[in-house]
Amino acid sequence: MVMERRKTDVGLSVELFGRRLETPLMPASGTLSKEAVEEVRGVYGAILPKTTTPLSRDGNPTPRIAETPAGMVNSIGLQNPGVDEFMKNLDDFDLGVPMFVSVAGNTVDEFRELCERVSADERVFAIEMNLSCPNVEHGGLTFCAGASSVEEVVSACRGVSGKPLSVKLTFEGVVENAIAAEASGADAITVMNTMPALTVDADARKVLVKGGFSGPAIKPVAMRAVYDVSGAVDVPVIASGGVSTGVDVAEFMMAGAAVVQIGTVSFVRDPEEILGEFEEYLRKHEMSASELIGCLRGAGSV
Amino acid sequence: MKFHTVEVEGVEALGRYVLLRYPWSGAIEPGQFTMARAAGYPTTFDPFLARPFSFYDHDGETASLLFEVRGRGTQLLAGAKETIEVSRPLGKGFRVGEENGRSLLLGGGVGVAPFKFLSRRLDELGVEHDVVLGFVDEGVAGVAEDFPRAKVATMDGSLGVRGTVLDAVGDLSEYSAIYACGPNAMLAAVKKAANGIELCQLSVEERMGCGNGSCNGCVVPTKARGLVRSCIEGPVFDAEVLAW
Ligand SMILES: Cc1cc2nc3c(=O)[nH]c(=O)nc-3n(C[C@H](O)[C@H](O)[C@H](O)COP(=O)(O)OP(=O)(O)OC[C@H]3O[C@@H](n4cnc5c(N)ncnc54)[C@H](O)[C@@H]3O)c2cc1C
Ligand SMILES: Cc1cc2nc3c(=O)[nH]c(=O)nc-3n(C[C@H](O)[C@H](O)[C@H](O)COP(=O)(O)O)c2cc1C
Ligand code: FES
Repeated sequence: MVMERRKTDVGLSVELFGRRLETPLMPASGTLSKEAVEEVRGVYGAILPKTTTPLSRDGNPTPRIAETPAGMVNSIGLQNPGVDEFMKNLDDFDLGVPMFVSVAGNTVDEFRELCERVSADERVFAIEMNLSCPNVEHGGLTFCAGASSVEEVVSACRGVSGKPLSVKLTFEGVVENAIAAEASGADAITVMNTMPALTVDADARKVLVKGGFSGPAIKPVAMRAVYDVSGAVDVPVIASGGVSTGVDVAEFMMAGAAVVQIGTVSFVRDPEEILGEFEEYLRKHEMSASELIGCLRGAGSV
Repeated sequence: MKFHTVEVEGVEALGRYVLLRYPWSGAIEPGQFTMARAAGYPTTFDPFLARPFSFYDHDGETASLLFEVRGRGTQLLAGAKETIEVSRPLGKGFRVGEENGRSLLLGGGVGVAPFKFLSRRLDELGVEHDVVLGFVDEGVAGVAEDFPRAKVATMDGSLGVRGTVLDAVGDLSEYSAIYACGPNAMLAAVKKAANGIELCQLSVEERMGCGNGSCNGCVVPTKARGLVRSCIEGPVFDAEVLAW
C-alpha cells in the first residue's frame, strides 16, 4: 500500500490591511501581560496589549474576578497607566510582529485625541477602538448603545488617523453597529467584547462580581455575531469570544473571521497548543488558513 | 499560561489539611506559589480556572502544597491519584539573606503553608528563627506536628497558648525580621505590632485569574502606587508598602 504524503508545510499566514500575518492568531486586549509576552513568541501573527485611556485608571476594587462554569466574569475597570506611560513602554510588547494598540475614551474628543496620538507613533500597525466603555456624554451608556454614537466616534477617529482602525463591538446591536462603523471608515470590526453578567456570593447574600462574561461559555454567541457581521460588511472581521481550541479558531474563520483573538483561555492553556491544534486541523483537511475564511457561506462549504 | 503535568507522589491528611507532593527539580523560592488543578484542559471546564497555592516545601526534587479543602478545585486536588497540572513557580517570595538577624515566622490557619519551606531556607542560611503557628482549634492544628520547633496558639486554647499568634510571642523587638501569612485581620494586626521592626513581610491572598500578570484580577492597594498585581509584585509584600 502506498502511503499518502502528508502536507508538512501548512499555510498558516493570512493577510490583514495589506500586511502578511504569520499566523491568524492574536491576543485579545487585556489578557496578555508584558511579563507573559515572551511565553507566546512565535504563536501570534500580531500583538495587542490592554486598552489604554487618556489618563491612568486605578480600576475597580476587588473582587474583580469570579469563576463560572466554562468561563469567568471580570470587572477590572480598564486599569492602565494612561497613554503617556503606556506608549513609553510599548516596546515591552515587541515580538517583531505587527503591533495593535487598543484605545478607549469617555467622550468622542477623548477617542479622537487618543487616536491622533497613537497614530503618530510608527511602531503602531493598527488601532483597535474599544467601544464597550461608557460614553459619559450619553448618560454612561456605552458607545455601542446605538449606530449614531458608533458613527460619531468612528468618523472622529477616522478624520485624524491614517492607521487601520478596527472597531471592537459588544454583542448588543452588533450588526447595525458594524454597518455604521464600516460606513464611517472602519477598516475592520472586532467581534465581540465580553457580555454583561452578574455573579452572586450566596453565603454573604451580596453581589460578587458585576462585569463582563468571557471564556468558552460565550463561544456560540460570539460565533453567531461573527457570522452575522461578516455577512453584513465587506471589511475584515476579527473574532473574539470563547476561543479555546485550534478547532475553535478554524470554526471562527469559517464563520468569516480573518484573524482570531485568544483571550480568557490563555489563563488556563498555553496558546502554543491552540496554534498546534489549528495546524493539525489544516493539515488534516489539506487547507490553508486563508482558504477557511468565510467558507461556511461560500463555495468551500461542505 | 503553560501547565506541566506532574506525577502525584503522595496525598495525605495533615490534621484537617491536605499535603500533596509532586516532583519538581526547578528552582523555587520560599513564598512563591503555583497555579494548580486536578485535571488538564480541556478535560474539565468546571472548575475553569486553576487555583493558587503557596509552596509548602521543596527539597530540590520534590515540591509540596498544603491546602484546606474549601470548594470544588481543592476537593478535586485532594482526590488526585496519578497526575495534576501545575504552572511554573510564580510571584516574588520572601526576602531573606545571611544578613538576616533573628527572624520570626507567623502562620495563621492554612497560612502556615509557606513557612515550612522558609524555615528550611533560613536553616540553610544559618539564620536563627522562631516559628509560631495559630489555629482556630486543635482539630486543624495537626499540621503543627510537622513543625517540631514551633510554638502553637489556638483561639479556644485546646492546644498551646490560648489566643492569637501574637499572644504567643513575647517581645517582638527581639526580632529583626518578621514574616507573616494568614487571614487579612491577622496580617493587619501583625503589621501594626511590627511597627519599628527592620523588616516585616506579609504574604497576601487575593483571587487570581491567571497568576502571570495578565488579567489584573489580583490587585492589592499600595500606598505609593495604587493597585498593584499581587501575582507579579507579591504575593509577599513589605508591610509598609501596603495601604492597609
Ligand atoms: C498566593 C496565594 C497562595 C495561596 N496559598 C494557599 C495555600 O498554601 N493553601 C491553601 O489552602 N490555600 C491557599 N490559597 C487559597 C486558595 O487558592 C483557595 O483556597 C482556593 O483557590 C479555593 O479553591 P476552591 O475551588 O476549593 O474554592 P472555591 O470557593 O470553589 O473557589 C471559587 C473561586 O474563588 C477563588 N478563591 C476562593 N477562595 C480563595 C482564597 N482564599 N484566595 C484566593 N482565591 C480564592 C478560587 O481560586 C476560585 O476561582 C492561596 C491563595 C493565594 C492567592
Ligand atoms: C480579565 C479581562 C480583561 C479584559 N480587558 C479588556 C480590555 O482592556 N479591552 C478590551 O477591549 N477587552 C478586554 N477584555 C475582553 C477581551 O479582550 C475579549 O474580547 C473577551 O474576553 C472575549 O473573549 P474571550 O472569551 O476569548 O476572553 C478583557 C477580558 C478579560 C477576561
Ligand atoms: S492573577 Fe491575573 S494578574 Fe494576577
